[in-house]
Amino acid sequence: MSASSSGSRTHRLLAGAAAVLAIGALAAGDRTTAGGRVDVDALARAVEAEQDHVTAVELAAWIRDRKPGLRVVDVRVAADYAEFHLPTAENLSLTGLTRAAIRPDETVVLYSEGGTHAAQGWFFLRARGIEHVYFLRGGLYEWMTEVVNPTLPADASPAQRAEFARTAELSRYFGGVPRIGGGSGPTRVDDPAAKLPRRASDGDGAGAAAVQRVRQRGC
Amino acid sequence: MIFPLIDAEAGAGGAGLGVALVLGVAFGFALERAGLGSARKLAGQFYGRDLTVLKVMFSAIVTAALGVFWLSRLGLLDASRVYVPPTYLLPQAVGGAVFGVGLVAAGLCPGTSCVAAATGRRDGLAVVGGMLLGVLLFAEAFPLLASFYDSTPRGTLTFPNLLQVSPAVATAALVAMALGMSAGAERWERRAGAGGGS
Amino acid sequence: MSATDTASASVALPAARARVRAEGRPYASPYVTGVGIGLVLLAAFAVMGRGLGASGAFSSVAAAGVGAVAPAHAAGNPAVAEYLGQGGPLRDWLVIEIAGVVLGGFASAWLAGRLGGGVERGPRVGDGARLAYAAGGGVVMGIGAKLARGCTSGQALTGGALLSVGSWLFIATAFAAAYAAAPLFRREWT
Repeated sequence: MSASSSGSRTHRLLAGAAAVLAIGALAAGDRTTAGGRVDVDALARAVEAEQDHVTAVELAAWIRDRKPGLRVVDVRVAADYAEFHLPTAENLSLTGLTRAAIRPDETVVLYSEGGTHAAQGWFFLRARGIEHVYFLRGGLYEWMTEVVNPTLPADASPAQRAEFARTAELSRYFGGVPRIGGGSGPTRVDDPAAKLPRRASDGDGAGAAAVQRVRQRGC
Repeated sequence: MIFPLIDAEAGAGGAGLGVALVLGVAFGFALERAGLGSARKLAGQFYGRDLTVLKVMFSAIVTAALGVFWLSRLGLLDASRVYVPPTYLLPQAVGGAVFGVGLVAAGLCPGTSCVAAATGRRDGLAVVGGMLLGVLLFAEAFPLLASFYDSTPRGTLTFPNLLQVSPAVATAALVAMALGMSAGAERWERRAGAGGGS
Repeated sequence: MSATDTASASVALPAARARVRAEGRPYASPYVTGVGIGLVLLAAFAVMGRGLGASGAFSSVAAAGVGAVAPAHAAGNPAVAEYLGQGGPLRDWLVIEIAGVVLGGFASAWLAGRLGGGVERGPRVGDGARLAYAAGGGVVMGIGAKLARGCTSGQALTGGALLSVGSWLFIATAFAAAYAAAPLFRREWT
């Protein structure tokens, strides 16, 4: 079908519209924070939908796979950071966070000892209009128990064993030592992560569940 | 932000499936309108005769990309909740090449083969049957292919990430490229012979 | 080129009518239909938070078939098992979407008078050969789409619109390979 005169006019209109929208996009730039106003509803919804945090296993997979734009931020004091920090992590205090330069294509994951300061930092960054920010809910404790020393209970189901095999590989990548132990695994008396209610998809292979979800997305 | 209305992870409930049907009908209708249910027309792309495939694809991509940018920019769409297929460099590069060979041999892609079959073409049905066999063969061979299949993962990797540019710039560049390609396509088709028919 | 000349109607009109009867009405503009498809894709993003697809539906159906015929074998193969346990293919989003594609394609063809059986091919091959190429091409596409985790709908359109690097890589290699392999199959079409 050779373009008739009305056909070409339509085509020119479409092309023109595309050009205008594209140039407009360049002019409009990206979304920036609406000067100080915080959408509390949206933030509350994000928390309830569990879209505010990542598990230690998920973070470990992101670090190992060199997820582009990933910025792991340790919000503890400098002395603690110097003593030990997660691979690829940088050190920023909470007050430093409020001024930090973060690009829209970056994904920030905050962590602290137990997770509280990281959660607060999450709120500050979201209030700044930065969207791709998460925190490690169980903090370094979760990293230790889920990544460095993941433990397979003796009464584990075959599905749990399969998950554990994958997590164990991740653990070894970070120099960890997976353990196969009795009962439901060692819990430190002062381990706040142990007291946190677990999501249905937590612990018993959150990382693998995430991988599973990704695999299942046919196209 | 009100969009997306249904989260991709939540969505295979009844409402989600209803949406799937409606979207599918619109998709199939548009594909047939463009003539992509015809293997000869589709294959014509690769013999330089009929560049419909290119024009349809790029028009669709540009429309959706501009839509995503603007809905997001106006605070209507939370783009971070839209599922982006993860990048696996090697499997996608190799898989693409394999797919391309099959595409020019069959003259139809998975979606358009269904359109062709729906209009009664037996070659459409043959492609559908072949595809079912193909995915089964892949599944049987999976133990051998698993490590390749999972190799070179890059997670969610978009051009804004990769080139360290803003989505606005990347989208505008995409539009510029598409407009350039359509202008080129029109000129090519005019030179390649204005003989009638599509 | 419209054939609505009144002067030479006596000669041109029957020929035009014959062409319409044989081929149906001329196809619509690729740009307009492309924009239409883009809007459908955008609607998918906005309503479902995901894009369109096709090859995944084939995986679902094939897996269901294997699951029905050889359940133990299916359960043991992760590439099959991942599609099971969701309540069957009729609860799979992509399968329902493809069902829609079939309906929509049929409707469009019916309205345009383009319904008709037969085998689309060039003059130099027979039906059998064309069907063999079609089936073979389908097998190869099935494998390629699995490797790439999608096809022209899922990777090229969806991933392309979302500016995913892997998807654009797929587009590039698919088109390059198709152009490279085209001479092998020229006989099918011309």
